[in-house]
Order: sequence, then structure tokens, then C-alpha cells
Amino acid sequence: MPAGKVTVQTFVTEPLAWPETAPDLRAQVRALVAEHGIDDPVKRANCWTKPDPAFSRKLGEAGLIGMTWPKEYGGHERSAMERYVVLEELLAAGAPVGAHWIADRQTGSLLLRYGSEAEKRRWVPGMARGEIYACIGLSEPNSGSDLASVRTSARRDGDGWVISGQKVWTTNAHNAHVMIALVRSVAGSQRNEGLSQFVIPMDAPGVTVKPIIDLTGGHDFNEVWLEDVRLPASALVGEEGNGWQQVTAELSLERSGPERYLSSMALFIELVRFAEGAQSESLRALVARLAAETWTLRLMSASVASKIARGEDPALEATMVKDLGNSFEQAMPELVQAAVDCDPAGPEPLGLVLGHLLQMSPSFSLRGGTREILKGIIARGLGLR
Amino acid sequence: MTDEQRMLADMAGELFATLGPAATMAENWAAIEEVALAGLLLPEEAGGFGGSWEDALVVFRLAGFHAVALPVVEAAIAAGISGRAEGRGTIASGGEGALEGGKFTGTVTGACFAQGCDYLVAPAPDGGSMILATGDAAIELHDSIAGEPRERLVCDAIAVEHIAADVFALGALARVAQIAGALDAALEKSVTYANERQQFGKPLAKFQAVQQNLATFACEAAAANCAAMGAAQAMARGDAPFEIAAAKLRANRAVGTGTALAHQVHGAIGFTEEYPLHPLTRRLWAWRSEFGNDAFWSGHLGKTIAERGADAFWPDLTALTG
Repeated sequence: MPAGKVTVQTFVTEPLAWPETAPDLRAQVRALVAEHGIDDPVKRANCWTKPDPAFSRKLGEAGLIGMTWPKEYGGHERSAMERYVVLEELLAAGAPVGAHWIADRQTGSLLLRYGSEAEKRRWVPGMARGEIYACIGLSEPNSGSDLASVRTSARRDGDGWVISGQKVWTTNAHNAHVMIALVRSVAGSQRNEGLSQFVIPMDAPGVTVKPIIDLTGGHDFNEVWLEDVRLPASALVGEEGNGWQQVTAELSLERSGPERYLSSMALFIELVRFAEGAQSESLRALVARLAAETWTLRLMSASVASKIARGEDPALEATMVKDLGNSFEQAMPELVQAAVDCDPAGPEPLGLVLGHLLQMSPSFSLRGGTREILKGIIARGLGLR
Repeated sequence: MTDEQRMLADMAGELFATLGPAATMAENWAAIEEVALAGLLLPEEAGGFGGSWEDALVVFRLAGFHAVALPVVEAAIAAGISGRAEGRGTIASGGEGALEGGKFTGTVTGACFAQGCDYLVAPAPDGGSMILATGDAAIELHDSIAGEPRERLVCDAIAVEHIAADVFALGALARVAQIAGALDAALEKSVTYANERQQFGKPLAKFQAVQQNLATFACEAAAANCAAMGAAQAMARGDAPFEIAAAKLRANRAVGTGTALAHQVHGAIGFTEEYPLHPLTRRLWAWRSEFGNDAFWSGHLGKTIAERGADAFWPDLTALTG
């Protein structure tokens, strides 16, 4: 290695190229959001967990779901960076995208890549219309961060399969039409061997969804029981036994998006509104600090997106952006609470958004991979361990 | 990186590695002149390399990475904005006094390696920058906490040339690039040390607490590097007031976490004069103040954002990149 060569290269920085269509796409999304109207500022916070099927259908009609998917399956064959522009606009505006978010982010793409022709035709066009929603069956009662310990089983039954077990912390299961579950298809297999993914219709006999109410009284999580759920052969996603590799690739999609730093953007916007009239230097300093962080994270997040668009797998960079992004969106409520004298119980909009995010933000560094797991991945990437 | 930038990086990296923090003006400035690095930002028709700010980032970052004790960065900016191919120029972070009829009376502070240079570019009292012949002013020697010369010049009605370029903002951009490089170097040293140093019968790198600290450090170094790239890319397109402010603020924050964790991982040995961590960390602490500390840039940026208003923030932010 030549002298002066950086050996620890964790994040490859390079100039970003944004699509030429970006300004038009931004205008289109802003007009759609304005037309739909999101009057309640609390709804704008952490908006990708807020379902609104009417808005999802509107986005579908406008061609803004499944943007990169083939036209044959209802997609629009736009570029990945065009899709990124639409996502960041929706999140910054606080649009209620929760219903279709998972289907658009990962389930549709996973089915298109690994699913059988029958399952692709059955689910993907409806996803692109904003009518079919998905959930992810990963965590189980004894399998959280240690995902390779899943016990839900799939056993062969004639041509088809029978699934038995329980999933938990399943976001959106109560709105979803379909789940992709990671299950053990080889009885007695260990750890990440013998795992497979299956498409499970949520209305299949044997599927039961029970709500888990969060500490704010909200309903986002669920328990999902799978009791002898019979599936056709076509429900197997990809190769049998290849589930772990498929899930790992899916997690890269799940972890790398702009939702991993924009969950508290609604609070920042309200903070700026508060700072507009107040001639407060300390408030302006806080605004600047958070704006600088937003600017940096946006570049980092878009950089990861552009690498994925080129067919690279920037798993380490995606992990770093998620860790930094979660820390940022989590720190913001505390910083705002320290700087502004407002009641987190309302009725002022700034207080209401603050109160909501103070209570919701602990989940930001849990969902999609805990902070500890992410830091472990980064440490391994650094060549430690 | 373009092929040209890769060649530039190889050349500068190799040279800077041999120079490092032990370099001196008397012994080593000739090596910089030999490869004409001061002409990096000078247009080709003026005898320079004609590089962009993205090219400059490559070199400036490596200057930080190797803690080169020579004013390479400052000479390149001075030549670039003054258009001068001859003589050694440098820059300063402060210029207070009065500029009347092309004559400046006042003090220039934070002049980088000004002793013995031919000309100096400093912020002008009412905006823009002023170029002055260093020999016309009285120099008071002063070093930064990292031992880098940061002189003060007392000027009594000396002739200056006024230019529109904002040397203060460009100095800040350069410091962001150097911070990004120095953080990567300190991270690399820390990772190497954690893998080699044994305690309780195993390398430090095996301890989860140490792993998590280094992961945090790596994220901060990555953020500083991305901020540097974003600001340089914006500057290459023209003007970058928002980006430079945001980048300096973000890089300054990374300095705090990065230097603390670098020293924590190294333990007592990293605190010694003998061990080569302090040429990086002491520079990082000094650079955090230079060309605008957090209060300066956040005052500036916060005022702009508050005046533009809440509903303009996101449209303004996205308009920066298209």
C-alpha cells in the first residue's frame, strides 16, 4: 500500500448527482401533499408509521409507489434516485405514508427479485396502486436482535407448506394484506442455516393478529399467530434455505432510507417557526446546529441511495447513516425541550409535536436494528473483533 | 474520484507522509514548491494547476491526514483567489480596522505562517478580502496550541488590493477538509492500537465497550468527510454560504467526539509527547476555533434560517442540490 493511503475507509465520499427530473418530482409531491392537507402537526411527526389508505391510493394513482418496478407489474421504471427524491419529499412534508411504506420499500422489491410468478402477479400491481399493504415477519417472542434464533417452522405438506409459530413487534400487521415471514424450513437446523421466506396472505385461515399498544396508547405493533397456515408451493420466496441471505439483503433496503433521519423533521420545522419571531441567539444556535446535522445526514443518506442505485451494496455505510440518523432524530426532542419553554402536552403545535416525539423516539434506535447491533456491524467493518 | 484526482492523491499523499508534523519551512518548503502544489487552485492560464474545489479537497484532506506542518493549504488558497503565481502567499482569519483609499490601518490576526511570506490575504473590514505585502506590516509572532504559526500583523496605512473573494469562508472550508483527514488518521491509529494492545489476555478490540466507542468515532469521521465533500462540491459550483457554515459546524462537532475517543482508546500512551497522536488531536482542537467556531457559524446560519422562515427550510435545503 502506498504511503499516505487511507487504510480505514469506512465511508466512501464522492460527489452526488441528483436526477434532472428532481425539481418536477418535488413540485408534484408538494402539490399532492398540499391538496391532501395534513392539519394535525402531530401526524407529520414520524409520519412513515402513520397509515392513511386514501393518501396511499392517491400516491399510487400519481405513479409514486413502486417507482422503480417494471411496468409489467404495475411499476413505473423510474430511477432509484428519482424514487429517493420522492421519499425525502414525503417524509419532510410529514405525509401519512405508513400504510404502503413497507410494501414500497422492501416487500414489492423482494417479491420481484425472488418471488414466484404467481405471487408477483397476485401482490405487486396492487402494491403499486397503493391498495395492498405489507408487514415483515422477523421478530419472535424469543428472537429479537438475535434474529438467527427464529423458531416458527415450515413443513412440507404434499405440494405445499404448513407454517406454525408466532411473530411479534410486527409493525402494520393490522393494516397489511400480506406478510413475508422468515421461518425455519429445515427441522432441527441451527442458526442462520435452514431458513426460508414465505408469502403469507393475512386473511389465510390460521393467521391471527392481536394489537400491542405502545406507551402513548398508539397501535403500530402487533403479535401475529400462525397456526397451521397452509400455503401453496408458490408461496416460497426464493430458494429454500436461502432465507438468511435474502433477509440480510432486505435489511440493507430497510436500514438505508431517508426515514432513518427524518422522523423528527416535523419538530424541527415547528422549532424554526418558533424561532422566526423570537430574537433569541441560543434558539438560533440550536436551529443552526440541527440544520447542519440535517444537511450532512441528507448527503450521507443520498450517497448510500446512489450507491444502491448503481448496484453496489453499501451495507456498512447504510449502517452508519442509520446509527447517526437515529441518534439525531432521538436527540432533537430533548434539545428542543431544553431550549424552549413549552408544555409537551400542548396545546401549542410545537409542544404537541415535542410531547409526541419525546415518547416515541426511544423506538427509533430499536426498530430496524438496535443501536448496539449497528455499532457491532460498524466495528466489524472497521476490522475490530 | 476522477483519475486525475487519484494521481493528485497519490502524489500528495506520498509527499505529505514523508513531511508530516516534523516538517519545517527552512528544510521542507522547497519540496512543496517543487511540485507546485501552491498553484492547485490557480487557473492554468495564470500558470497554475487549474484545479476545482473538489480537487483541493483531496489535497487539503491529505494535508490534515498527515498533519503536515507546512502552510500548503493556505498557500494554495492565497494563490487561487489572488491570481498570483509568483511568491509565497498565505491567508489570515481576522482583519480589523479601517480600509480607506486602498490603505488599511488596523490588525490582521490568525495569519498562518506569515513570517517570510510575500503576500497575505485577510478578511477586509467591510466584506471581501484584502491582499497586502507582508513586509509592509509589523509582525508579532504567535503559535496555535498545535504549534502552528498564527501571527498578528499591525498595519499602519499600508497599501492593499481589495478582492471580492471571501477568504474567511474559504479558510473554513479548508479547515473542514483538514479536520476530515485528521479524524480519519486518528481513527486509523486508534483501530490499529486497539487491535495490537493486549489487556486481560486479549486485544482491546475484543472488548465490546471499545468496539462501540470506535464505531461511534467512525460515524463522526464519516460525517465530517461527507460534510467536507458536500461543501467542496457546492463551492465547485460557485458560492456555498449555507454549505460552508453547515460543514464547519458539523466538522467541529465531530472534533469533540473524535478526539475524546481517540485519546480514550489509546490510554496514557496517547497523552505523551513521544506518541504521534497529539500532532493530530492538537491540530483538531486548534482548527475547531480557526475560521469560525460554532458560535460564529451557528449565529450566521441560524439567523438566515430563522429569517427565511419554517416553510422555506426544506425547499431551500433541496434547492442547494437540485
